[in-house]
Amino acid sequence: MRTRYLLEDRSSFGYKLKTFLKKNWGGWLIMLPSLILFAFFVWAPLVQNIKLAFSNTRGFEAIGWAGFDNFKMIFADPLFLKALRNTFMYLLWSIVIGFFIPIILGLILSEVVHFKALFRLGIYFPSIVSGIAVVIMWSYLFDPNPGAVLNQALDAFGIPASLFLSNQKLTIPLIVLTMTWRGAGATTLIYLSALQNIDQSQYEAARMDGAGMWSRIRHVTLPHIMPTIKLLFILQVISVFQVFYEPMVMTDGGPDGASVSLLLLAYQYAFTNGQIDAGASAACSLFLSVIIILLTIIYLKVSMPKKDGDRLIDKIKARREKKNA
Amino acid sequence: MLKALKNKTNGILNYSDYKKPGYSILYFVLVFILVVAVLTAVTPVLWLILSSFKDASELTSVPYRLFPENFSLKKIGEVWQMLDFGKYFLNTIVVAIGAVLFSVVFNGLLAYAFSIVKPKGYRIFYGLVMLSYMIPTVTAIVPLFSNIVALNMINSYAPLMLCYGANAYYLLMFKNYFDSLPPSLFEAARMDKCSKWGTFFRIVVPMSRPIIGVVAIFTMTAAWSDFLLPYLVLKDNNMMTIMVEIFNLKTTMGSVQGFGPDKLLMVLTISILPQILIFAIFQKQIMGASAAGAVKE
Repeated sequence: MRTRYLLEDRSSFGYKLKTFLKKNWGGWLIMLPSLILFAFFVWAPLVQNIKLAFSNTRGFEAIGWAGFDNFKMIFADPLFLKALRNTFMYLLWSIVIGFFIPIILGLILSEVVHFKALFRLGIYFPSIVSGIAVVIMWSYLFDPNPGAVLNQALDAFGIPASLFLSNQKLTIPLIVLTMTWRGAGATTLIYLSALQNIDQSQYEAARMDGAGMWSRIRHVTLPHIMPTIKLLFILQVISVFQVFYEPMVMTDGGPDGASVSLLLLAYQYAFTNGQIDAGASAACSLFLSVIIILLTIIYLKVSMPKKDGDRLIDKIKARREKKNA
Repeated sequence: MLKALKNKTNGILNYSDYKKPGYSILYFVLVFILVVAVLTAVTPVLWLILSSFKDASELTSVPYRLFPENFSLKKIGEVWQMLDFGKYFLNTIVVAIGAVLFSVVFNGLLAYAFSIVKPKGYRIFYGLVMLSYMIPTVTAIVPLFSNIVALNMINSYAPLMLCYGANAYYLLMFKNYFDSLPPSLFEAARMDKCSKWGTFFRIVVPMSRPIIGVVAIFTMTAAWSDFLLPYLVLKDNNMMTIMVEIFNLKTTMGSVQGFGPDKLLMVLTISILPQILIFAIFQKQIMGASAAGAVKE
């Protein structure tokens, strides 16, 4: 056996392949089943989607190159422009309604010492209910019937009955309210855990310097949770861009397209309009994906504060300082 | 109540602040805000549960009454039987169990390879996984659906379960955990000529119970709530999962004899009770992981 190995040319491709396989086949065997699943459920569909976006389609099949025709078509569709505008409205409202509440609740939760566990539990509670159930529950709470619960509550305050989701001006804010109701608790916990990691001696030092409550918040608390705030902001933007089943279930994109989002429209192009238009659907979701990727790149830039290069510079600096000292 | 404030040493405000006038009032305001937040969080679900025991006409009765006029647990049984709801429950449980199994095994194995075995060239696929982590898979639902059709997997639970085996989020949870295991462990295993599979089952799995639990719970709740793919794949009413059936009931409301909104609310109540139960049992793990998960990666 030994001599045979010695005789073999170690620089030959066959030998290299052999040792590569010998060393690594076990590891690759472990990865293979999972990689097949990733290929089927994630990678292939994403690549096929790009192909579909640039193809003429019949049913769900691509039949020949179409260039940018699908994109030209959707940009000429008034509903697409509406969906694009709506998606940004969702974003705007989600920042107004949903972004600050978890920060404030997290701050308060970290200060209050009574019933801590109970408050935390209560605030997190909506996150455990499944999305579809939440959405249907709220669409019944938003029942426009003047005898329904919220309208009677409004009536008690002398406010006239509302159409809620059927009111074009209210539909997006109310859908965002539903999303916030479900999501704010989980986000609050993330802020809470960031707040609990703050070094207490810094508060002590600020107190020694005579800093009041607001100045402690401004100079100690906020700088510490700022990375978390930035991160969750970008994450929220990314997830709001994917808003889909909330308008699908609550309003089906209506009234008159007032709540249709890009992803919902992509779904409708393919699955609900009388004729299947897979090309338009793919173009629409590809357009959305590109926006999301751009946002993710920003997110990664924000969430990775130091690159290896920076760390190297730090090392060099540290060494230089040592020498000087 | 204020005694605890005298001993409060941590946070933005401590005992020395609460000695000053006005601050104890501020504290009560803070507590009040939390009470309001908790009420806002809990009341809609309480409303749902109470309303589901009402008659259809009671939902819009003037003046409004929060509690049902005739409270009877029988209504749960009535609605359950009317819809033959047991089968949807069973279907959903089957899908959820399968999803948990695939999620733990396949994401766990791939994370093990990425984190510990590291066969040559694994970085390419690690990069691909991270890349696809950025792009939500729901944007590629059309080709995924047509592939499922091509493989004749319409009305099959296989794709609904298997898709959880390719989840970048769970994969990263596993990988982060494996990365934190002491490397000396695997050194020892290599010395003892323990095979890669042996290392996985004899060392990694026993040491990873907490993270396996967390991923299992997350997958279970996700599969229980999953909607879009089951909705597209399941066409046979006897195979539907709870969420798909609820959506169908909502969209066909009025066309089914005797099925009014009050009964739909009851169905919602029935569907969320298991979720509340699971949360009550695994509260600590779920809340702990959801606080840590998002920040890490």
